[in-house]
Formats: sequence, C-alpha cells, structure tokens
Amino acid sequence: MSDLEVDLAGESVRLLPERAIYWPKERTLIVADLHWGKAAAFRAGGIPIPRGTTAAGLARLDRALARTGAQRVALLGDLLHARAWRGAETMRTIAAWRDTARALDLVLVRGNHDRRAGDPPLELGITVLDGPVRVGPFALRHEPRVEIGAYVLAGHIHPGITVRGPGRERLRLPCFAFGARVGILPAFGEFTGTALTEPAPDDRIYVIAGDDVLQVDVARSGA
Amino acid sequence: MVAGEAPADAIERWFAQRTWRPFAFQREVWSAYLGGESGLVHAATGTGKTYAAWMGPVLEWLRDYPRETTTRRAHAAPLRVLWLTPLRALAADTVDALRRPVEELGLPWSVESRTGDTPAPVRARQRERLPTALVTTPESLALLLTREDASTLFDDLACVVVDEWHELMASKRGVQTELCLARLRRFQPALRTWGLSATLGNIESARDALVGVDAARRPNPARLIRGLVPKGLAVDSLIPETMDRFPWSGQIGLTLVPEVVRAIDEGGSTLVFTNTRATAEIWFQALTGSGAAWADRIGLHHGSLDRAERERVEEGLRSGALRCVVCTSSLDLGVDFTPVDRVLQVGSPKAIGRLIQRAGRSGHQPGALSRVTCVPTHALELVDVAAARAALERGAIEARNPLERPLALLAQHAVTIALGGGFQPGELLAEVRTTWAYRDLPDDEWQWVLDFISRGGEALRAYPEYSRAVPDEEGIFRVPNRMIAMRHRMSIGSIVSEPALTVRYLRGRKSIGSVEENFLARLRPGDRFIFAGKALEFVRIRDLTAWVRKAASAEGAVPKWSGLRMPLSAELAAAVREKLDEARRGVFLMPEMEAVRPVLELQGSWSLIPAADELLIERVRTREGHHLFVYPVEGRLVHEGMAALFAYRIAQLGPISFTLAANDYGFELLSAERARLDEALEAGLLSAEHLVHDIPASLNAAEMARRQFREVARVAGLVFQGYPGTGRSPKQLQASSGLIFDVFARHDPENLLLAQAAREVLERQLERSRLVAALTRMSAGKLSIVEVERPTPLAFPLIVDRAREQLTSEKLSDRVRRMTAPLERAATAPPVPRFANLRAARRERRP
Repeated sequence: MSDLEVDLAGESVRLLPERAIYWPKERTLIVADLHWGKAAAFRAGGIPIPRGTTAAGLARLDRALARTGAQRVALLGDLLHARAWRGAETMRTIAAWRDTARALDLVLVRGNHDRRAGDPPLELGITVLDGPVRVGPFALRHEPRVEIGAYVLAGHIHPGITVRGPGRERLRLPCFAFGARVGILPAFGEFTGTALTEPAPDDRIYVIAGDDVLQVDVARSGA
Repeated sequence: MVAGEAPADAIERWFAQRTWRPFAFQREVWSAYLGGESGLVHAATGTGKTYAAWMGPVLEWLRDYPRETTTRRAHAAPLRVLWLTPLRALAADTVDALRRPVEELGLPWSVESRTGDTPAPVRARQRERLPTALVTTPESLALLLTREDASTLFDDLACVVVDEWHELMASKRGVQTELCLARLRRFQPALRTWGLSATLGNIESARDALVGVDAARRPNPARLIRGLVPKGLAVDSLIPETMDRFPWSGQIGLTLVPEVVRAIDEGGSTLVFTNTRATAEIWFQALTGSGAAWADRIGLHHGSLDRAERERVEEGLRSGALRCVVCTSSLDLGVDFTPVDRVLQVGSPKAIGRLIQRAGRSGHQPGALSRVTCVPTHALELVDVAAARAALERGAIEARNPLERPLALLAQHAVTIALGGGFQPGELLAEVRTTWAYRDLPDDEWQWVLDFISRGGEALRAYPEYSRAVPDEEGIFRVPNRMIAMRHRMSIGSIVSEPALTVRYLRGRKSIGSVEENFLARLRPGDRFIFAGKALEFVRIRDLTAWVRKAASAEGAVPKWSGLRMPLSAELAAAVREKLDEARRGVFLMPEMEAVRPVLELQGSWSLIPAADELLIERVRTREGHHLFVYPVEGRLVHEGMAALFAYRIAQLGPISFTLAANDYGFELLSAERARLDEALEAGLLSAEHLVHDIPASLNAAEMARRQFREVARVAGLVFQGYPGTGRSPKQLQASSGLIFDVFARHDPENLLLAQAAREVLERQLERSRLVAALTRMSAGKLSIVEVERPTPLAFPLIVDRAREQLTSEKLSDRVRRMTAPLERAATAPPVPRFANLRAARRERRP
C-alpha cells in the first residue's frame, strides 16, 4: 500500500489506493459512489449477482480507516443504489459493520441515486445533507459542478482513463481527476464500472494501479 | 385443383404452368414426407429446395381434404406447418414463395410470417389464431413457447421445416432450435422435421442434430437427400498488372478498381461481394465515382440498411434496373433470388463452402458454369485464391460442428418452459436429452440449471432475494412474477449485438438504416460520414435516433460494424500451407502464384518461406519494440489461442507485457523488452503437455474468457439488451458484462457461467482440437528462427493490425510506471510498403 501525497486547493491530502482521499487536518476520509445494495437490487430484479460486494467494499473502507485513523467519513453521494437495496441481508451486513464502528462520524451528501432510493435508515446514524457542503477550501457535493469560491470535490462520474504505452499497450484504470476547480473521485463501490474521461491538458490524473496511486501524463492517455 | 384430379397430377400441372418439371430429388422428398419420414435436403442455393420441402405438406392436404376451399383467413386451417428461417429479412420472400402454389391450387390455407418485424395488429390477430403455415425465426418460436397455452397452439402441427439449417446448426441459435423442436415433438410425437442445408463436410451430423436422438441416445432415423449436384465452378482472379503498386496488407483493395470496372463492363448483371459492411460502403463509393457507363445503376445491400432500401435494391436486380450490386453476406442467403451473370468476391474467400455459395448466385442457365472472380485486397490474398481453387478441385469442403450443451441457453429455455405452462424437472430433463446438443447432459449439470434459475447457485451459495423460476406445491416450476416474465420474453435469444441507433433524415424523418452507437458517439454536430452510399451530415442524437441531413460533398468517415471477422477455414489453411510449400520449392503453378511470386521471393530472401512441416519464427526490432512473428498458417482463431498460450508461457519466465495480434497466417507478440524465446523453447514453449492447465490460464490472462462472457451473460439474462431501438432496462439494473464477470470472478469463482465462458472460448472460438493438433504438428516438425532486419511480407499485415489482445506478468503498478515513463514517444506504425519502395533493398541483396 502506498499513498500519494498531493496538494489540493492549498491543503495537503493523501490519495489512497482504496479509492479514497484522506484529509489529515480534518481527520476525514472522503469517498464517493459506494452504491450499497446494488447487487441486491439486481438479484431482486431476477439477475443473479453473487453476494459479497457490499461486504468487500466495507472491508476496504475499514482498511483505509485503520491505516489513516480517520474519525469522519464524508460520503459524496450515491451511497444507496436503489430502493430495492433494503434486502434483508445487505441491511444486516451494513448494520453489523456500523456496530463495529459506532464512534465514526458519517456524513452523506445526497446524490441522484440517494434521492430515488431514499435516505438510509436512522439507526445507521448517518448525517444526511444536500450538497454543496462547504468545509475549508472545499465544497463537497455529488455532481461535479463548479462552485464559486471553493474547490469542488465530487463523484458521480466513476472516472476511468486509458493509459497507453509503447507497443500499443493500453490499460483502463479508475482514477482521480483533478481539474482547476473541480476534483472527481473514483467510484468506491465494488460493483461499479468506470466511464472514460477526457481530461483537459491541465488536469491532474492519478490512477489506481493495484496497491499504488500513480500520476499519469495527460498527454499520453485519454479515451 | 381441378375436380377429381389426383394430388400428384395437380402438383405436376402447377409446375408445368411455370414451365418447370419437378426434379427427381423433389419427388423423393415428397414421397418420404407422405410416408411419415423426416430428413435433410442438401444442395446449393436456388436449386428448388424450398418446393422440395413445401409440396409434401401441400400434397398431403390435397390427398386428405380434396374438397375443402376457403378464401377467408378466419376459416383457414389451423397451424399445420412451421417454417423456420435464420433471417427475418428472408421471411417476406419465403411467404411469397409458399403462397403461390397454395393460392393457385386453391388450398384453404393462410401463410404468414411472424418475426420481430411483424406489426402489432398482425401479431394480435395471430394471437387469436395462428395461420396454417407460419414463417418465423427460432427466437419468435421460443416466444410462442412462453405462452401459457403453448401446448394447445400446436394441436394440428404436422411438419417443421428448418430453412438454411447450415447457418443455424453451429451456433446457439441452432441449439435453441433443437430445444424448441424437442418441445414440439413432445406435443406432437408424429411431427416430421425437414431441414434444408447447403452441402457440408459433415452433413450426417447436420441431419442428426436436426432430428435429435431417442431414449438410447441413438440418432432418430431420418433421410438424407442430395439435391441437384452442383454444376461446374470456375474460380479466377483479377490480377494486378504489376505488383509494384500492390499493397502487402489491407482489407479494402481499391487499387484494383479499374480492373473491377472492366470486369463489370464485360459481363451483364454483377454482384460484388465484400467481407464487411464497411468495405461494401467504400466499394460502392468507388464504383459510383468510377465514371463507368453504368455508374448510376449500382445498388448497395447490407444488413444495416433500412429494409425498404434493401427491398428496393433486390427489386432493382430482379427487374434489371440495376447493373451491379455491392453486397455482404446479406445476399448469401435468400429464396427466389435472381441469378446474375457475374459474381466478384472482394477480399479472401476465407472458406470453400462460402465461395461455392456465392458463386452459385451466377450462371443459372442450363449447363452454364458458376463463376466467381476474386479481387485480392493485398498480396497474400492471391495465395488464398490459388489455395481455394486447389481445395475445390480436390472436392474439399468445410464441416460445421453443432455445439455441445451450452448451459446458459438451457437455463433460458427452462424459464421459457416455466412460463409456457410450467415443467416437472424429470420430464423436462428427458425431453432436453432428446436433443443432439444435450444428449449427454449429466445429472449434475441439469441440477445446476435448476439451481441457477431458482436460487442463483448451489444451495450453500444461494443468492438472497433472487429467483427466476421456482417449484410450486406440486413441484411444477413456474415464474413467480410478471416483471421477471416480461424481462424474460424481451431477452429471449442468443444474438449479441452492439447497441445501434436508427439513422433518420431530419427532413421527412425517413429511416436510412442503423449504425452502432460506438461510431455515432464520436461524431460532433456538423461532422460528415458515409452511410448507405450517401454523404450525410450528423445533426444530433435524440430519442434513440441519429438525426442527419444530406451533405454536399461525399467525404467523411465510414462507420464500422463489429461482428465476427471470418477466419480462414481449416481446409483452406491446409491448402495455403501447401501453396507456400510449393513456392518454397520454386513451383509457381497458377496465375495468382505467378503474380505473387516476387513478393514471396522477397520473403524467401529476407527470411524464408516455411515448408508445410516447418514453423517459422521471425524476430525484429522496430521503434515500437521487440516483435516476435510466428507463422503456423492455421487460421486466425487458432492463432489467437496460440498467441495467448505463447505469451503466457514466455511470461512465466519473468515479468513482461505483450500485445498480441493474429491473422490467418500467423501471430505477433510485441513487447518493450526482448522476449526470452530460447529459454522458453527449452522450457517447452511448443510442448503439447500441460495444455489442460496452460490454455485456460492463458485465456484468462489475455482476458479472452472475460470477453466471451458477454455472450454467456446475454443468454443467461445477466445483461439485458432489449429490442433494438426500444431502449434498455431500467437504469438501476444496468451493468456491463465485463463488470459482472469481474464480480463473479471475485465473489463466486466457482460459478458455472464462468466455466462456460472459458469452455466456449476454447471449443468454439479457438477450436481447441485444432489448436492441439497444430501444436503437435509444430513440435514434431522443423523450427526455424530468423532474425530479420525489417518486417517481412508475411509480417506486415500483422504489424499494422491495431486490434490487439494483451497479456502481462508484470505487477500492475510496475507496468503503469513503465508505460508512462517519459521515454521516446510511442511511434506510429510505419506506412504500408508497396513493392516499388523495396526494389532498392531487393537489388542490394541479390548477388
């Protein structure tokens, strides 16, 4: 595991290969697009998707929490995939996880899926807000839209990028995509894909390459 | 029918009215049919197979009900004959052909089609009462079987005719047909099944797969009747006057436009077959702009054009209004098709059977030869043509192998039957085992199918909240809710298609055809593209439609349609190896070989021409990296598997990443570092041992199983593609098959659907038996490794191929670091050499 320390809107933050940003000053972990219960929603619709995706995502979140010692998690929307997520088993998995991390402060900024799926049950103890939420130099929200006077951190896109090498090698990887005014996080959920992003020349792109986070040259990657 | 006339006489009279006489083979089929038999008729297209199959049921009716006539549909006899066709585009022509004798003989029969194209009011009418003869596709038949009253729909069914069975039999659609036939035979044990097929190398298997097996797993008895023996077939080619300007690679071949124009000038009506839709579009443009006297009487025909446009072109060919039609396999099949004077084939013929089929479109005058003229698109295709001629002279023809028990399809069928009245597992198993595909279905695989549809997996790994069909109190499996029923009905079938959008003119809203979303997504408003032979300007995408207007100038990109590129068949590949061997010995017998001689001699002087029992490996370094070229000459599919296997075995020696390219002659491994070939050879690179482990491992490593999973996922109902143009599933239930594959691989790696994807890649896509045979051949033969200074004529088509697989044993982060390291910029591929540029090089090397 190796994190990458970068400067974002004047703040020093760490990019984690668990697909999260850690902001040491606020002891806050920032993640986007968990899509809890997505597989359960598929199953309820008659599409057999194996169990274990939500649990695997929670395990990864635990690992990031343990490595950083974060006390708060900011969830940038699409925490819940669909109304049908309230499948009993997924619900039990999440409740059991919450019981092991009661002290953790969880803040959800609503996203498009959350508006359809409804807020998470009260007993999970998640503070639910509409974006944008201003913290320090940042505005936290789900959709990556520019805010005046703040650097936006958002999700929604599930950004990915194709890295190209000599000999026509290509590799599609999830990434952090930081523009001049908006930074987009990779989707955290296990059962989520990526959408190819077309970075602008000045964007900073950091790919998740296994256990590492690496910066790639925008000029040599792209859709 | 004239009163008191015997049925056979009525038929003879009907033929005589058209100045025809029944062929002996047609009479043979009729009497076998009247005797209660089933069978398979095989012959070339356009030789009377349709009426061979159709007149049996007609005769039987005339015999049994000589007096009944009616002209009202509502009083027509109930469903008696099902006519299955692989292409819904053929349904209309088939209905016309079947109706003619019915109307003229005064039978109280209705003949209609029912396909995805059938308008809603007709479907509704058919829901009330099916016609006497129904022309339909395997998918639409499966849909009929989902009806609650399925068992009563077929009370009077006497016969099923499966048209163009050779097109279906080696695919999942063929297996779906087998399953539906087994169901119908259960409803009607005396059902007769007749197949119509082109001639194949394994025609007996084609018959056995069609009629199924008995309880002892012996093929049911059925006739095999050979239609007209093909008239002679002549294959020639347009040979470039000089090889100086002729390219070494490429699939378009426009260099030969002047020769093609001359060839069309010589003959009368002409069909120009191409191997892809994009090539057809490009050739249509080239011929239209050629200035030929007939340039305004050319038509374009391929599967993505609007149906009305295709029909207009077919009619133009029939009436003689069109002098020339550029087409794809869309005109390979078809009833009642007007013969033309001349057939051209642009690009390699790829298979002997296909060449015969296409040639059969010409020369229908009695005693005339069928003739096909091949138009090579690059130098090595001249060898393909010479090889095809040699193989034809030997009488070689390809086999098509029926599939063995694809489980996802069986799961789909089980849900179909659960909807169509429900099933008791033991009874359905017995029924399914009467099909050829599932004759050896083991109990545990059947149990898996039941588990899959009821719980998602075995009991211990059951998926919560999921079920598609569950047993009721009496143990009858049924579908529990309407949502799942609807989804199932909309996703029946096994055809995987790229999402495509209808293209329409903004003005008048007229539909032009359909183009894949992948291509359209790259267009910006105002961009121009060529489609349906027209220059179009892209306006916008809205309502699942790409809106366009006419563009002034004929410039712009041509859309590409994905779809399987056809590989060189095993039979043709063997013939190519022989031709190369002759060339190596300095024997250049046919005009094509004489023409390609300078190119092959250059190959010989820069490297060597492999002997029939020799494996040639070339190594070369370019700005792109280190290339390894291997030439087994076994056809592209075998090479894809072999490339993955070679890359996997070399990568076991240490971290390295390869990109892989394969064509019909060989394959290429390209890497940033020089591959440790000698070490790998010593460790058994060519060995036929450990294949049981190494082949699946290499397929996984190259993500080939992941790609094949797309089809498995579609058939198993994991991804939903909906009907074209009708939108997709609700957004919350959309995921790509690649993503689902990854989730399965991580969270339920034992799932049989994954195993099936791997098995399909192995058996069908890569033809494992051919792969193993090729390895055995190679490891026993001579090995020659040549370090070359520049890519040779054999290497060139590979080096410019940009569609590549990848395989790596590097750690992901190391690989990304290396790929993104600021070394020299990735070089673009060198230009395709033409002979003239290389003369100097050749002179230098000559003593």
